[in-house]
Amino acid sequence: MPSARKVPWVVKYKPRRVDEVVDQEEAKKLFIEWIDSWFRGKPEKRASLLYGPPGSGKNSLVEALANERGLELIEMNASDYRRSSDIERIVKTSARGRSLTSARGKIIVLDEVDGISATADLGALDAILDLIKSSSYPVVLIANDPWDPKLRELRDACLMIEFRRLTKTAVKKVLHSICLSEKLVCDEEALDFIAERSEGDLRSAINDLEAVGEGFGKVTRSAAEALLRSRDRDLNVFEVVRKILMSKYAWQAREASNQTDLSPDELIKWIHENLPRQAQDPEDLWRAYEALSRADVYFSRIVKSGSWDLLTYAVDMMTAGVALSIKNTQYKFKWVKYSFPEVLRLIARTREVRQVREDLAKLIASHLKCSTSTAKSDVMPLLKVIFDSNPQYAARLALGLNMSESMIRYLSEHNGDAIVKLVDDLRRELARAGVRRGGETALGTRPARPSPESSRGRRTGSSKGLDNFSKK
Amino acid sequence: MSSRSTLAELLWAEKYRPRSLQDMVNQEDVVRRLQVFVKERNMPHLLFAGPPGTGKTTAAHALAHDLYGEDYRLYMLELNASDERGIDVIRTKVKEFARSKLPANVPFKIVLLDEADNMTADAQQALRRLMEMYVDVTRFILIANYPSKVIEPIQSRCAVFRFASLKKEDVVTRLKWICSQERVACDDRGLESIYEVSGGDMRKAINVLQAAAALGEVNVSNVYKVVGLATPAEVRALLKTALFEGDFLKARDTLRKLMVTYGLSGVDIVRQLHREVFSPEVTISEELRVEIADYLGEVQYRLVEGADDEIQLSALLAKLVLLGKPLRQQPQPPKPARR
Repeated sequence: MPSARKVPWVVKYKPRRVDEVVDQEEAKKLFIEWIDSWFRGKPEKRASLLYGPPGSGKNSLVEALANERGLELIEMNASDYRRSSDIERIVKTSARGRSLTSARGKIIVLDEVDGISATADLGALDAILDLIKSSSYPVVLIANDPWDPKLRELRDACLMIEFRRLTKTAVKKVLHSICLSEKLVCDEEALDFIAERSEGDLRSAINDLEAVGEGFGKVTRSAAEALLRSRDRDLNVFEVVRKILMSKYAWQAREASNQTDLSPDELIKWIHENLPRQAQDPEDLWRAYEALSRADVYFSRIVKSGSWDLLTYAVDMMTAGVALSIKNTQYKFKWVKYSFPEVLRLIARTREVRQVREDLAKLIASHLKCSTSTAKSDVMPLLKVIFDSNPQYAARLALGLNMSESMIRYLSEHNGDAIVKLVDDLRRELARAGVRRGGETALGTRPARPSPESSRGRRTGSSKGLDNFSKK
Repeated sequence: MSSRSTLAELLWAEKYRPRSLQDMVNQEDVVRRLQVFVKERNMPHLLFAGPPGTGKTTAAHALAHDLYGEDYRLYMLELNASDERGIDVIRTKVKEFARSKLPANVPFKIVLLDEADNMTADAQQALRRLMEMYVDVTRFILIANYPSKVIEPIQSRCAVFRFASLKKEDVVTRLKWICSQERVACDDRGLESIYEVSGGDMRKAINVLQAAAALGEVNVSNVYKVVGLATPAEVRALLKTALFEGDFLKARDTLRKLMVTYGLSGVDIVRQLHREVFSPEVTISEELRVEIADYLGEVQYRLVEGADDEIQLSALLAKLVLLGKPLRQQPQPPKPARR
């Protein structure tokens, strides 16, 4: 029976009780004691700060405990409390004074507090401190990395509770039990692979398991690899580019570039694609592009000279050079959606047209003994003019150069059909003449130079010579 | 009377390409020295340097033609810029040809490398060794727009021939002669305007001539019509979007369209932008025109060095967005104020 609504597994298998939270025994003990002390009325610290790597169970523990004790959760994450006024609002609506209508206690949860130091005005931090002092409910702060100097006062006000990175075994155990509940065939190696890749992040491991299970109906190592490797890479690249662009220090930006398996010349395309989305101030954008262009110049020098030593300078400029060029903080730390290098998509979409264009360029280049780029820039635009304005003459050129039908259509959108037909007529006429004259001029060959006789033949009839071709 | 040559037409730049050295109407000094090689049936390695459309490739083919006759291609290996010419090709294909036995009737074979300045340093080094090892049976002719980009050891092994930009009279005389061959009506001012737009590049001049002729006759208005039609409207849009709207992302999309769908190279776009910048239809201050032109020069230089088209031109767009900032803050007189 398919269920009407699909709940993601991370939600479906969320721990309901504290003992379902995997590992973190020490953190559990500390946290429960602290909550209990609150409701007994005399907490040693009025707030706690749960910190540790993503997916290690910080939120899960809070939610499981609230569920067990019947406490109401009031949750906010970083984007909700950027300004001090946001925090004051919570203080007003939920924190001060016990609600008469609800007998239940509450827990106020501020998630991602480490995100606040960079994005919010500093008033927000004071407001949180005020909230902690005045709240009649426990305030729980959650962070991945609480060691930012700006958060020092907050740390002092909180009971610090550390969550450790989950072990691979612990992650694997959970994956196993989910497979059992979902009646999903899985092999040991696949779970090893997913658990390994998660680096102790249970949330991402469960998401990965779901993706593989959904996609393939069973969880095998090869399925997991096929699905996760590619997806991982793109997500990862966005993160790396974001880190680079938001870096405040040169070393940060340079280090970020090591966190991807893209080569520097690929990475520069991703930076180029997304830089203008992040650096919206014209001054910043120009400075950053100067840096990016310097990096690109180094790449060209590497190719020319073969000195790979120069690579490090290219990387310096495309990472640190770019990051430090973005000075306008209003945009620098703003979250914007990044995208895949558009030019790669464009190239894929226009493959056929480009193929025709390249073939035509080669054809012209071989006739004129020039490079294909000259053919494209100097000759093809002029051919387009001829093909658009003089179909009769265009047809003769198409015949002389032995152009394919798609080349003709490439050169003229409007006259394409007409010219193709004219060329066919010319070919037939030529074939008839060939039969008459014993097949002397075969199709597909061209005279090395115009013989005086034939040019004379062509010139008889009209003074203009161009749109004149005999139709006898 | 129908035959292939009455029905089919070629590009005039091919049709009227001189086949023999004696047909070449310009570069007299160069031609004279090359004719000595033909007479003595001996020559050193050669490096032909000069701007596009000045007859370098033509001279190389004409030289081979005069040495070996109509079937000169039998004794010449020709590698164009569009061919693969990495170090592997040099070590295999070129080496095979260079070391192969000399046919009885010729003094040496020729390897012709067009746009040698675009070859990587590695490939040029490999080439240098071949030039040394097989000099008794094979001579190299290298062609380059920028001889300074040919590595020093190769330059010193070659006799360098400099091809000067063509003079106005040379170009106009040649164009007039072609018009008479083709029985096309033309006037002097039309032909002179072709020289103006092609700047001493004979191949380009002849191409413009043929397109103008296709419109009817060769006069000033047809020449400029051809040049206008051959310039994509997106080039001006690019300039305007960046300067007046300050919309970088939109401008970059236009740029990509120019590169991917028209197949224009970065240098092509820079050149066309340069023309636009000084066009009276682009209403900007004279100072700004000069400032943009200066930056265009810088971008073109980087591109010639081998930098990436899209990144360099995006840097240019970023510069234009910045330069246009004061224009956007006060409403432009010729345009209605926006926002």
